[in-house]
This record gives sequence, structure tokens and C-alpha cells, in this order.
Amino acid sequence: MTTPTVQAPLSDAVVSEHSSAGAPARRQRDASSSFPLAIRSVTKRWRSDQPPVLDGLDLTIEPGTITWVGGRNGAGKTTMLRIAAGLIEPERGRAEVWGVSVRENRVRYQRLVSFLPAGDRGLYARLTVRRQLEFWARISMMPRARIRHSVERTIDAFDLRQLADRRVDRMSMGQRQRLRIAMTFLPGPEIVLLDEPLTSLDAEGTALLLGATKTVLAGGGAMLWCSPSDEHVEASFDARWLIDRGRLTPA
Amino acid sequence: MSDAITAGCAFLAVMRRDLTIYLSYRTRLVSQVLTSLFSLTLFYYVSRLVHVSGFSSPGSYFGFVVVGIAMVGVLYSCFSISELVRQELIAGTFDRLLLSPFGAIRSVIAMTLFPLLYSFLLAALTLGLGCVLFGLQLHWSTVPFSVPVMILALLAFLPFGVLFAALTVVIKQGSVGTTWVIALLSIVGGLYFPVSLLPAWVQTIARLQPFTAATSELRHLLVASPVSEAPTGSLVKLAAFAGVLLPASIFVLSSAIRLGQRRGTIIEY
Repeated sequence: MTTPTVQAPLSDAVVSEHSSAGAPARRQRDASSSFPLAIRSVTKRWRSDQPPVLDGLDLTIEPGTITWVGGRNGAGKTTMLRIAAGLIEPERGRAEVWGVSVRENRVRYQRLVSFLPAGDRGLYARLTVRRQLEFWARISMMPRARIRHSVERTIDAFDLRQLADRRVDRMSMGQRQRLRIAMTFLPGPEIVLLDEPLTSLDAEGTALLLGATKTVLAGGGAMLWCSPSDEHVEASFDARWLIDRGRLTPA
Repeated sequence: MSDAITAGCAFLAVMRRDLTIYLSYRTRLVSQVLTSLFSLTLFYYVSRLVHVSGFSSPGSYFGFVVVGIAMVGVLYSCFSISELVRQELIAGTFDRLLLSPFGAIRSVIAMTLFPLLYSFLLAALTLGLGCVLFGLQLHWSTVPFSVPVMILALLAFLPFGVLFAALTVVIKQGSVGTTWVIALLSIVGGLYFPVSLLPAWVQTIARLQPFTAATSELRHLLVASPVSEAPTGSLVKLAAFAGVLLPASIFVLSSAIRLGQRRGTIIEY
């Protein structure tokens, strides 16, 4: 499994945003908790009469590394990502970004983490690609002066120039997925959580994703990539795990 | 300071998004204008058909009811927030708002800006059509004062929309109850006829909520209708509703989202 030789397309955009949003956060890091992402003893149960989907799960990701977690459908990959993203809360345990949980500092947490959910949802059907990215940049509370530049760089980085003024409801599934990925990387996150990111992507889209991935890792960020299997994934993972019965085992 | 500016820009971005989506449906504005026009036409002839006690002329009842029609639009806008939240849940965009630094609470508040501004403009349009097409006599010397009163009224109404939005986050249905609440408020708020015609116990309900006071005050300023309550009393009532209920409704919305996150139902739709 090797990473294809792809020119990192997001280098300037991502690094520039890191310097604005990520750097102050880095300065605040607690030296005793040096993991970009740590999932600590997380338990989540959907129904009290059923076994937990996550059962005291632990996972830490080192800076500059990408971790893959696989497993059968319904094993708990998406639940783990949703907890790591701060979307849902575990019954026990916690997810931390540089030692801080979402409860302790929601805004800082969300500035550092970006989550690509599985599927094709999360887009406004009647907005164009450019408007969608601009909106997301503002909701991500990027500095005003950088928004236009970052949006245009992201449009170029993900080869969306020809689609920039096209409404989402007039785009193909693969084009939408490329836009969703572009939105994920636009704010320049340090920690990227990807849930089945290759869905509907063609080879070119996959290469663009892997390029953006390399850029985040080169900046000292970390990534967690979940998919049922890694057969068609051309990324070089630094760690591989399988999730089964709520716990992780080496793949 | 820069965070406040960035947050302000995010508020405006939500409003701009809603405007863009609204304009992408080209027949919506025409449809809304026609609806106002038909309502005005209907009540213009109703005002000529029946002699209503308490009104000096058919024109005075028409003026009374035009303001009521405008207020119905405002009510619909306030309660539309729950449906907007429902659409965000279905589209999966609510998750994105929740996971953004701007956050879900501020996003929901920002979502109210466009509908409220739109209802404000639609109310002005309804009054304008009433003047131009049906000879509605506006009391121009006090019309400018209606703007701050309308803003205060919107702040007093808004918590009701936010509470229904919180309900939507929990039960995943957008318009549950809103239709009959609006119908009920149209009656007890005196939007189409004076509340003095209602039974005494209903009049008590009418005095307890802010819609009657706001409508009565706006009527007084726009078409010089007599008021049953001192203007200061109505304004204090509206300010009290806004001051108490707005933070309370935001707390309820925050709790509803938190509950959804804890139970994991925030991802459901």
C-alpha cells in the first residue's frame, strides 16, 4: 500500500490557515497531553438492553500520522468518529484534542477538528459551490481577510473551478463528494476525521484527497480514516486497527 | 473584538445564504404578493359588506384588518424557524452547523434574521398595497414610530419560534402545533376582529400574551385605531416578554441540543 506521488495541492491554503487558527491553539497546548487526538475509555450504548457499540475504547493518534480504523458495517466506526468530532457524547470516557475535550472549550475544539461524515449529506442544494464554501468559511469563523483567498485556493486545489458557479443540486455524486471534502479541508484543520471519504470519488478526486491529507500531516496534524476495508485505499497509514465488539484490535 | 466581528459576519452569512436560497425559487415572491393581494381584496369587500360595531366606517375596519393581515405574516415567520431547523436536520447541514466554531445555537438565532426581515418587508408591502389599491389611510405622522415597536414586537415573538425549534430538535417534526398555535393567536390576538367581541375569559388570555399588545400598538401608530391599554404598558409588556423569554428560549434550545447529543438522537431526522 503506497501513497501515489501527488503534488500537495492545499499546501499554501492549509498552512496559511494553520498559522492563523491553529497556531494560537498550539501555544495553549498542555505539555502533558501531546496527542492531537485521544479517545479515552469511551463507552457508548444505543439501547440499555443491548451490548455497547463502543466498550471502553482507547485510541491515541500521534502528530503527523494517519490512522485507519476498519470493521464490518455497524461495528461502531461512525459512532467513534461522531464522538471524536464532538457531535454526540459518550456515556463514559471522553475525546480530547491536545488534551482538551469539547465540553471544556467547544469553540477551540471545533476550530481544530474537521469531520467528513459518510454519505452525501451536509450540503445546501440551492447554493453554488463558491457560495457553499464561502458560507462554510464564515461559519468556521475564519478571519475575514483570508476568506476570499482561501475559498479561491480551495476551489483550485480540489479542481472545482469549472463547477464554482454550479448549484449543488445540479452536480453528480462524485462532484458533491469532492465539494464535501473541499469543505472539510477549507478551514485548515489540524485534526481531520474522515468517514468513508472515497465514496463516489474518481481517481482524480482520490488523488486530490490524498494530496490534501499529506499537507495536513506535513503540518503536524493528525488524521483518522474509517472505512469498512482498506482494499481500495491508496494512502499510507501509520497505524491500522479493526473495531470489533466495541474495542480496537491491530489489523 | 475580532471574534465579535467574525461572529457578526457569520450571522450575516446565514442571512445571505437564506436570501440566496429564497431567490433561487423565482416564483416565491410573486406567490407571496398575490396571497397578500387576495387577502386585502377579500377583507376590503367584507368591510363594505358588514357594518361592524365599534368601527366608525368600513374604512376604519379595513385599516384594522390590514394591520392584522400584516401581523399574521410576522407570526408565520416567527414560527417558521422550526421548519427551517427541520430542513437542516434532513439535509444533514444541522450537523455541520453544530460542529462549526459558530455553533448550532448562534446558527439557529441567525436563521431567524432573514424570515423576520422578510416578514417586516412583506408587512410594509401589504400596507403599501392597501394604500395604493384600496385607499387605506395611514396615519403618516406616527408611522415612523411603528418601526421600533415592530422590532420590539419581533423580539417578543421570537422566543416562541425558538421554543418550537427546540421541540423540533427533540421530536424531529417541524410544523407540529405551529399551525394551530398561529390560528389560536390570530383569534386571541385580535388580528381580524377586536378582542372585545370575545368571551371574558378569552379576553384574559388575550391580555396575557404579547401578540395582542403588539398588534394593538401598531394599529394605533399606523391607522390611528384607539387603544385599550396605555402605550407605555404595551411596550413594557413587549420588553418584558423579550427580556425574559428570549434568554429562556435559548436555554431551552441549548438543552434540547445537549439532550440530543447525549442520547445520540441529534443525528436523527
